Amino acid sequence: MDKSVLRTENLSVSAGKKSILNPVSLKIPGDGVFGIIGPSGAGKSTFLKTLNRLCELTPGLQINGQVFHRGVPLYHHGVDVDALRKRVSMIFQQPVVFPTSIFANVIFGVRHTETIPKKDWPDLAERALRQAALWEEVKDRLKKPGKELSIGQQQRLCLARSLATDPEIILMDEPTSALDPGSTEAIESLIHQLKKQQSIILVTHNMRQADKVCDLVAFIGLQDGTGTLLASGSLDELRSRNNIPGFEDYLCCE
Amino acid sequence: MKRKFFDLLFRTATCLCVVFSCAVLLAIIGFIVKQGSSAVSRAFLTGEITGAGASGGIFYNLVGTGILLATTFLVSAPTALSIALLHGVYLRNYRHREKITILLYILNGIPGILFGIVGLVVFVQWFGWGKSWLAGGILLGFMILPTVSVTLIERIASIPRKYIEAAAGLGLRQSEIVRSVILPQSAGGLATGLLLGLARAAGETAPIMFTATIFAGATIPNGIRENPVLSLPYHIFILAQDSYSPEVNSRLWAAALVLVILVFAMSIVALPARLKIHEEADHG
Repeated sequence: MDKSVLRTENLSVSAGKKSILNPVSLKIPGDGVFGIIGPSGAGKSTFLKTLNRLCELTPGLQINGQVFHRGVPLYHHGVDVDALRKRVSMIFQQPVVFPTSIFANVIFGVRHTETIPKKDWPDLAERALRQAALWEEVKDRLKKPGKELSIGQQQRLCLARSLATDPEIILMDEPTSALDPGSTEAIESLIHQLKKQQSIILVTHNMRQADKVCDLVAFIGLQDGTGTLLASGSLDELRSRNNIPGFEDYLCCE
Repeated sequence: MKRKFFDLLFRTATCLCVVFSCAVLLAIIGFIVKQGSSAVSRAFLTGEITGAGASGGIFYNLVGTGILLATTFLVSAPTALSIALLHGVYLRNYRHREKITILLYILNGIPGILFGIVGLVVFVQWFGWGKSWLAGGILLGFMILPTVSVTLIERIASIPRKYIEAAAGLGLRQSEIVRSVILPQSAGGLATGLLLGLARAAGETAPIMFTATIFAGATIPNGIRENPVLSLPYHIFILAQDSYSPEVNSRLWAAALVLVILVFAMSIVALPARLKIHEEADHG
């Protein structure tokens, strides 16, 4: 019985003749936080975006291989891509706050993808903002523009927006790389809370963060200029092995 | 030394060009104001044309131009929006997009008089409408279509991709992304394009002279067939051919002044929408 929530099988990405990611076969378990670590430019974010087919919005990318979500193939005609992206939500490196109010930002996904009556939106927004540990800071100014928030608050607002649609899996693409240390800590402790309900897949190039929040990691490094899955397991396991190409260089540069 | 000289020369030439074009504009406006302001009065704006333009006012010319512009708006706004969405959202193939752009530029290069003649053949003769306000509105609508579409296409292309990705990442369908991300963020572009286009349409004579407008004897249309309107540009055109008497002459310039104010007002209204674009571009 396959217990993984997501499993990739020979998943590769290329742009024209240039190969971006060599075939990756990886099992991602449903519980806990799965980290993807590796140097910049190794295709970590691209890999993340293949998991909810968001990479298809980038023109010119070819994706081969397969991703299975609980055993069901995702790259298959007949798959409802929008429904998939609702279940497998995404948080970006830079917070993407829509040019509208805080409240409208939180319910942005809900108002389109759920059949929840309008009168229930305020409760739902409050719950999502509480989950994202932002409620106390914004409860008196929900009608104010989301862009007035600090960058750390904006990222938590994005998290609240994702949580409002109750995703099964949250993909996070270096969610703290644009944030100050205080906000980074807030997001990290949130990840600890959230992993009880959601599966989280976190791309990070920060080893301290990987140590702190990830239960398992996959190391994607560069081989001949192409991203390649070089190892996976717990961080301690990876550290104790001394035959992973590029891993020691990566650790010492961090 | 040589480089400094060229720098100075270039700067001087640039300034002279700007001064020259501003001077021409100011001279034209100044001349129109000087010639026309004495005849503009409340009675002129609210009175009906009498004495073949030598007396009376331009009330129904204003009404007619208003009707033509409203029709132009209703024709061009949805068409331009569809073209821009096709170009920016639904067509993924770069070559198909290019084809649309080329077609729009060709359409932009077609002279007004050709629109007039095509309209004469299609609407006046083939459809049997005779001269009709609707024919004029449709022709003007298609004439300004490139201006409106290209402005909107550029506005849609400048929407940061991150918004579209974020909305897609939440599971929104394409139609919902169009409604909740693309339309709100490109509304300024639609407004700007429409007002610039309408400002141009307001002064066009050639497309409507055979198809939609007459010099005197029309009020408010009550149908489509044989229902022409009066209009400001055609009024000016006829009076200009006939301006030997001083009464006609002053009324000609007064009508021109009203038209200039109308067009200028539309450009001013478009200004906030345009400034908003720059503001957003600055703040990324």
